[in-house]
Amino acid sequence: MYDKDSSMIERIFSMFQTVQNEGHGSVLLVFIIGMVFGSIIQYTKVHKFEKIAGFAMLKDTVVPKMLFLAIGLASIGLYFMIQLGWASYHIKPIILGGLIIGGTIFGASMAIFGKCPGTGPVSVAEGRVDIMVGALGGIFGGLVFTLFYDKLKLLMGPDLGKLTLTGYFEDHQGLAVLIFGLLLVAISIAIPLLEETDEDDIGYQN
Amino acid sequence: MIKKIPWWLGGTLMALLLLFIFSILGADRPLGASTYVPYFAGIIFDLDPDKYTYLKEIHNAGSWEGVMLLGVLFGSFLNALFVTKTFRFIIVPAAWRKYKNNSVKSRLIWSFVSGFFLIIGARLAGGCTSGHFLSGMTQTAFSSMIFGAVVMISLVVTGKLFYKDKADV
Repeated sequence: MYDKDSSMIERIFSMFQTVQNEGHGSVLLVFIIGMVFGSIIQYTKVHKFEKIAGFAMLKDTVVPKMLFLAIGLASIGLYFMIQLGWASYHIKPIILGGLIIGGTIFGASMAIFGKCPGTGPVSVAEGRVDIMVGALGGIFGGLVFTLFYDKLKLLMGPDLGKLTLTGYFEDHQGLAVLIFGLLLVAISIAIPLLEETDEDDIGYQN
Repeated sequence: MIKKIPWWLGGTLMALLLLFIFSILGADRPLGASTYVPYFAGIIFDLDPDKYTYLKEIHNAGSWEGVMLLGVLFGSFLNALFVTKTFRFIIVPAAWRKYKNNSVKSRLIWSFVSGFFLIIGARLAGGCTSGHFLSGMTQTAFSSMIFGAVVMISLVVTGKLFYKDKADV
């Protein structure tokens, strides 16, 4: 599968080929998924520094409201889709050290950067120079993680398995998901709507 | 043309997109958006995938997310130019000026450092806002709920400690 002397262009070509052969949507479909994902982020402005760092400062609540609503609605929908055989579970294991150490580092970085890995590219595409520099930092982060993966792995354990809330309520799975989903929707509605103005708002203010 | 949509519409559309990605009609997999970074790092620094365990592990997921990322960049660039008209070169965000400082150097150094650790953190935890919050919690996975709780606490504590409470006028 890998060619030792493959150039960067060949490797990018192989990226498309891998996706095309993998059976998780054609290259075109995955590309369009990215366009839609980016557009939803862009139109709700949740990629703005003011939205993410603003959430960290508790001065903007669009990010948590939208996240909880999306998770609440999707969790109910996904459960029934899985029951009907239209989708399946892809659970990440509880690797406790990794989750706690990684989550702490991730949260602190997100507060300072004002982006996460999904929203950063939208800001890069809008010409934000600080985020391009941060993306470069991210590439180095990816490099360091890859180089020291075998050592970092020791830090990440123990693996407590792929546990879920639905697995816990074996006999009442549907009810458990319904309550979980509706609770998240209720939280998203209950969080008061706060918005911090960003540089694009200034021109639009009446 | 529409330039902004409210949070409830965005949240609903994001739920529908998630369900489509999960469905067998879509990609039959969860959404993820941080594996592409080490994947591209491997390509840029020309690391041999046979020598690095991690590159082998993320080969498929990294490819999928890599293509998706290109879609994000392409779509957002077109939107920014023609629809939202938000394309402009800005270095220091408005709220950074308001609650931190006016220094270009400070913003760029902090961006590089936080971008670096953002990826280290995401890969240690095995996911980010997309993979854990959106995809993981939708499946009611405990791993993602632990991640979600830790991130929210760390985010808000850092926000409190790092920024000034009162805006500079």
